[in-house]
Amino acid sequence: MNKLAAKYLRPELVPTKACQGCAIGAIENWLLQAIDEMELKQEDVIFGAGIGCVGRQTFATWGGDNFGATHGRALAVATGLKVARPDKKILLVVGDGDAASIGASHLIHAARRNVGVTVICEDNMGYESTGGQFSPTTPAGYVTNSSPYGMAEQSFDPCDVVIAAGATFVAETTAVQWRQTVKVVKLAMQNDGFSFVHIRFPCVQNFGASALGSRDPLVSMEWIYDHTKGKTDDGAETDFAWETGIKHDASNSRPEYSKVLRDLNARVRADMAAGS
Amino acid sequence: MALSEELVAPWAEWQESYQDGQRLLEAGTYALTEGAVAAGLGVFAGYPITPATDIAEYMSKRLPQIDGYYLQAEDELAGMHMCAGASLGGQKAMTATSGPGYTLMHDAYGWAIVNEIPVVVVDAMRVGPVSGITGAPGQGEFYVSRYCSHGGNIETIVLSPNSVQETFWLTIDAFNLAERFRTVVTILTDQVVADMFEDLFLPGDYGALSDIVVPRRHNLTMPFFPADSSEIDLPPNVIGEGTGVCVSPYTHTEEGYDIEEMEAQWSQTFRLINKIRHHKDEILRYEAVGLDDAEVIAVAYGATARTVKTAVLEARRQGVKAGFLRLISLWPFPDELFERDQPYLVCELNYDGQLVREVMRAAPDKNRVHFMGKSGEMHTVAEVCEALEGVAKHQKMPQQPYIWTEVR
Ligand SMILES: Cc1ncc(C[n+]2csc(CCOP(=O)(O)OP(=O)(O)O)c2C)c(N)n1
Ligand code: SF4
Ligand SMILES: [Mg+2]
Repeated sequence: MNKLAAKYLRPELVPTKACQGCAIGAIENWLLQAIDEMELKQEDVIFGAGIGCVGRQTFATWGGDNFGATHGRALAVATGLKVARPDKKILLVVGDGDAASIGASHLIHAARRNVGVTVICEDNMGYESTGGQFSPTTPAGYVTNSSPYGMAEQSFDPCDVVIAAGATFVAETTAVQWRQTVKVVKLAMQNDGFSFVHIRFPCVQNFGASALGSRDPLVSMEWIYDHTKGKTDDGAETDFAWETGIKHDASNSRPEYSKVLRDLNARVRADMAAGS
Repeated sequence: MALSEELVAPWAEWQESYQDGQRLLEAGTYALTEGAVAAGLGVFAGYPITPATDIAEYMSKRLPQIDGYYLQAEDELAGMHMCAGASLGGQKAMTATSGPGYTLMHDAYGWAIVNEIPVVVVDAMRVGPVSGITGAPGQGEFYVSRYCSHGGNIETIVLSPNSVQETFWLTIDAFNLAERFRTVVTILTDQVVADMFEDLFLPGDYGALSDIVVPRRHNLTMPFFPADSSEIDLPPNVIGEGTGVCVSPYTHTEEGYDIEEMEAQWSQTFRLINKIRHHKDEILRYEAVGLDDAEVIAVAYGATARTVKTAVLEARRQGVKAGFLRLISLWPFPDELFERDQPYLVCELNYDGQLVREVMRAAPDKNRVHFMGKSGEMHTVAEVCEALEGVAKHQKMPQQPYIWTEVR
């Protein structure tokens, strides 16, 4: 076990149960690096997870307090929890299904309310723990186990959705961007408000096999690498490219949700005390 | 000779102990809000729906005054998950809805129950299915409130009030049971009891209720989920105190880790079922009138019980030896109240027959359990009197318009 894992995780639950070559474990390490660079302690952070590979493989690995929500509901739970425990940082690690599909309404409204949580959406472009069906982030045309003729729907980027809804920090990276990811996760966690970090990573087991024709982790990683740059090794343009980096930074520009409620209480109670 | 009368509920005593206060003319929804405040509510999260909307509006006004929080959720599914999150963070939490919202809560119900999170849920029932008729009462969630999550392997606690005053005390009681049993407690009320205005006594100083209110405590040590244990009165788990607790939707170990072993599944189930079954006597609440010499026993709960009780007293005046049994705790089902080998007449606000099926199961002779179902409108005293007479004197339910008597 590496030093960061020893410092922050539960030895009995590490390494993760993810498939060989899956990036879920590596990305968790990057989150730990950000937490460590911020000098946060275990008791400063509440770790919440979704359901699916991303949620289940990371659930209960964090050495502090943990919750795993039902599919898509981590943000709804976190909203209530933040109101009760405004002193804690809440870090949510969820899948694209959790965030962009079944829990999309909670995502939008948590962004709108500016709930003080950092959402790490680890996007493997499909429902992978159920065997690799397409999700709202699967690129159009790609083959998955439920789009054998190619994904027929249009996909969306959840970053666009949360920016429109009012998120105060939004960034996107991919599994080949270690340093960038650590950097934006730190910025995200420094925002006292709703932060969204969207990280694309390959599911070697399902997406690799159906969309890319290989379970070799190197094939998947190369595909991610190419689409991060927008070019293949031989200089040809890829079919599309992701726009990575900080997409929106209005950190600490408007009050966090639980603070809005506390301020409201203070105003009401002051008026009561003044007898009006 | 005077009829025997019995109220088995903690507030039978509470009403005697607390006499200083104010008397108001108020609605059931108001009493519910005040009961929750008196019980120490910290967070209300919900989504408006008739007839529970007034609860949300009262809460939005009342909670900031006591430094509590009103969260207006994007839907009921979110509302109950927010309550569970707030409760995990150490706040007493409540949500309120009606049938259409109630069905959306089942995901959160299961999660809160398996993780032993205290939450109080109010369902003010109206006629259904789905939206039905907004302003008409119903009693269609008797079974749904028992089976409020999928997958089996749970017991639930459900209480039902029948007056504005009782709504106040019963709400405090619901919070107490939620804390003591570390679970979700459902208040199954209805459009009539929620909306009607009645005489309401409120204690002047809620602080003086500390003798009867179970405070929120924090469990700071392992085991977080004691396996194979039916112990109650354990402090609820808390997130944010650094205990390392883990809560999740998975079958769990005592730490809260997910596990896929049958022994763990059985231990968890034992706990979730038996903490309630082994303490059924702590949950039993009912009202009974004239059972001793009754030749027919009318059974009802909620608003329906109001007319049924009047009808029983009227039938007595007409020479029919009728008794009255009002269930207040609906689940776990009080089988022990149905040991008398007498005919039962079960009145409820649905045509499909729900409560009646449990009475048929619990009573010595199911052929002597009669059903009187109405839909969307209350039973009348005359209708119930006629039925009581028919059953007591001729062992038969009379045919009456718009009343269902068939249960299959
Ligand atoms: C309400 C509900 N619907 C469906 C499922 C089945 N299910 C579990 S995980 C999952 C998809 C997960 O996708 P994502 O969130 O992207 O996570 P991934 O497995 O891809 O990491 C589904 C459909 C469930 N657990 N709960
Ligand atoms: S199925 Fe895919 S996403 Fe899930 S653990 Fe395996 S490689 Fe990772
Ligand atoms: Mg996914």
